[in-house]
Amino acid sequence: MSGPWRELWFLWRDRAALLWIVIAFVAASLAVGFGLGEVADQRATIDRLKTADQIERAVALEDHRDWGSAAYYTFHLTYDPPSDFAFAALGQRDASPWKHRIRMLALEGQIYETDAANPDFALIGRFDFAFVIAILSPLLLILLLHDLRAGERASGRFELLSATSASGVGVWMSRAAWRVGALGLALLAPVWIGSLVSGAGMGSLTLATLAVMLHLVFWWAVIAAVNARGWTAPVNLTALIGAWLALAIFLPATLKASVDAAVPVPDGGDIILTQREAVNDAWDLPVAATMDPFLERHPEWAGHTDMESTFEWKWYYAFQQVGDQTAEPLSQAYRGGRERREQLAALLTWLSPPAKVERVFQSIASTDAQASARYEAHVRAFHADLRAYYYPGLFLEPPFTDQAVTSRPDYAAMGG
Amino acid sequence: MSAKLSIASEEWRLWLRSKVAVLALATVGLIIAGTSLLTATRMAEERHERLHQQEAAEATFLAQPDRHPHRMVHYGHYVFRAPPPLAVIDPGVDAVTGQSIFLEGHRQNTAMFADARASVNVGSFDGLTPALVYQLLVPLLLIALGHGVFVREREAGTLAPLLAQGISGRTLYAGKTLALAGLSGALLIPLVVLVGVATSLGEAASMGLAVAAGYGAYLLIWCALIVLVSAVAKTRGLALGVLVLIWLAWALVVPRIAVATASAAVPAPGKLETDLLMSADLRELGDGHNAADPAFAQLRANLLAQYNVETVEELPVNFRGMVAQTSEARLTAVMNDYADQRMAIETAQSARLAGFGWLSPMLAMSSASRVLSGTDLTTHHRFLREAEDVRYDFVQGLNDRHINALSYADDINRNQNAEASRRARISSDNWAVLNSFQFAPAPVRDRWTQALSPFAMLGLWLAGLVIAGLTATARLRL
Repeated sequence: MSGPWRELWFLWRDRAALLWIVIAFVAASLAVGFGLGEVADQRATIDRLKTADQIERAVALEDHRDWGSAAYYTFHLTYDPPSDFAFAALGQRDASPWKHRIRMLALEGQIYETDAANPDFALIGRFDFAFVIAILSPLLLILLLHDLRAGERASGRFELLSATSASGVGVWMSRAAWRVGALGLALLAPVWIGSLVSGAGMGSLTLATLAVMLHLVFWWAVIAAVNARGWTAPVNLTALIGAWLALAIFLPATLKASVDAAVPVPDGGDIILTQREAVNDAWDLPVAATMDPFLERHPEWAGHTDMESTFEWKWYYAFQQVGDQTAEPLSQAYRGGRERREQLAALLTWLSPPAKVERVFQSIASTDAQASARYEAHVRAFHADLRAYYYPGLFLEPPFTDQAVTSRPDYAAMGG
Repeated sequence: MSAKLSIASEEWRLWLRSKVAVLALATVGLIIAGTSLLTATRMAEERHERLHQQEAAEATFLAQPDRHPHRMVHYGHYVFRAPPPLAVIDPGVDAVTGQSIFLEGHRQNTAMFADARASVNVGSFDGLTPALVYQLLVPLLLIALGHGVFVREREAGTLAPLLAQGISGRTLYAGKTLALAGLSGALLIPLVVLVGVATSLGEAASMGLAVAAGYGAYLLIWCALIVLVSAVAKTRGLALGVLVLIWLAWALVVPRIAVATASAAVPAPGKLETDLLMSADLRELGDGHNAADPAFAQLRANLLAQYNVETVEELPVNFRGMVAQTSEARLTAVMNDYADQRMAIETAQSARLAGFGWLSPMLAMSSASRVLSGTDLTTHHRFLREAEDVRYDFVQGLNDRHINALSYADDINRNQNAEASRRARISSDNWAVLNSFQFAPAPVRDRWTQALSPFAMLGLWLAGLVIAGLTATARLRL
């Protein structure tokens, strides 16, 4: 039996090593299973909502046959379906909204509405594949490799083993490589199968595989550096767990706190408050106080802002728009701040490979903050389309016919 | 006793002489101190800010000019939940639920703007609190320092001579456990300081003591486990490996698998779906803005009969106000039904989750910690219910003013011209229907009752591990 195959045989005979590898396989399989289930749930939810939303809109339209009340009473479902790789990293989909029911009212009052799950669940977090890779896999690798040299040294075989190999370090490299490879395989096999099931593209899968292997290799290097100190196995393990704590838990927490402190973001509640105050105040203000700022954005309606009654829908929707305009600086600062925080985090998480690998997974799966911002922008664009559709009806008051309804914008998911 | 104490002090001496142990101890000590300081400051700031926001919201509402009363129903109001004093230890669900609710007519809004949204995403663990440090990190330190208490002696061959000297296995067990318990006690000092801070902020002393006792019991569970594993393991490496594996299972794997299991076992429809279901129910109730809605024909007939008049114009009360009030009452009954269902589902989910405390004392501890601190799901639900009471009261108060302080004739003509619109307003004195709101933690007795089950779990874990430890070490004599 030549060198490498002999090492594979040793790995097979090493009960403890096999245990860690089996644990890795079971954890990865569970995570992939949970992820596939959750994605299936989210897709089913979207389908149910789409059906219910259409019925609801049709019913609302039957009762409201003028431009103003049709706009007031008809909601439109918007949603962001999970990607084919989302099962591996649910990411921001748990914290940020991925479905809304939007209507013609001020958008700033609607877009932050989150369909939150049980807070106890959110507090603990999800057991998804990204978590297994980022947090569990380094620990398993540490348990697998920390006594590689120390164990042999303790049992007095270290010198013999080093001497029988031509290069001296070769035998340790090859023994460790087998273990890293086996762990990698145990972790990746479930996600490959999961990708086949969900139809994720080769590109995502290759990137994910690469990320997993790079992460394992990084930790292998850390472990090798500690092992080379010649300490005993328990000291190695203690030191390595310290390193894991620092890189996987303590550093991310510190990064988060410092990024949040370094880039202040306006209080989200203030956006809604500002918008709401603007809309409420408008009722008591002269019509011009609404129409003037409205016309700055929509000069095309300049000749159509006269009112015959103290209430007209065009005025109502104009002050909804002005409410959004008033809150716009805050809203933009909020989005801009979150974007700058993200950029800073993308840079700083290079210091913490576990945090980085989790972000990479979320980015591959389109479940990161950028994806959530893209969805938000998509909803904003749809809301703008709704306004573009209703304004001529509200200001020119052509008859509200079935024909007119057919040209009303329908939400289409991104990329769909 | 002195034998046990001298065994324990021997361990303490060893730790103090080991550079690695001292370094680890110092690092964890620093993390505890830093986290405690940051969390206490942050909570104090948030508490101050939200109490201030609450006052400001009430003042703003009262300062609104004369208006049509229904305009004030839509103008709405905010309530804020200030963190309870013990949030300095465990902020709990605060970070993920949002702490303010906008209250308005005809709608029950959700708590908005959880901190988790705007914060940057840096992976699975992104916020350290004293609670988390004690639940996760301190046990790891105990493992790192304590895994060798027995097995070290066995490997060095000093165990047999000790037993030969007539020191019983039980005495050794007690001494070694005392060593680790003493270390845990020292590590709990910052927590006790935080409890003192919370008490000075107005928390009941018994709750503070319960939190400290809970964490003490939790750390004792770890001590008992460590001594047990160390007593039965053949090598230090094995003892450490097994302990790390158990830590990994208790702290990282079981809680998250519990979440997946509980959410699969008790499915919860999202808010959008519930809203869609509800809107079908609500449609049947009629639109409270439209007094001509057929849903209010019965109300009209009843009122006309009661006051013995022919038309709503002749009624001594404002019919539109009556419609608004009736419709709000019907609407609220439906909304409360749905809200109760949703809370019942969440409670059932959380009960499933808590059941996994039998598999992971860490889960039991985190649940006890949130309950005692007043930052758990039940507290959040109570906040939602109290907020709903405030909402219903001020909306119906305004509707009452609509009925009695504004004539029907002025009301229906309000859109004719500016003068008519002015006549359809009522004095801002009427805005005093709003009650002031301050959210307080649940009574001590309620929190005790709720904490009973996780405490039972912790107690049984501790008893089981101590019995196992005593049994294992009793055999050492042979």
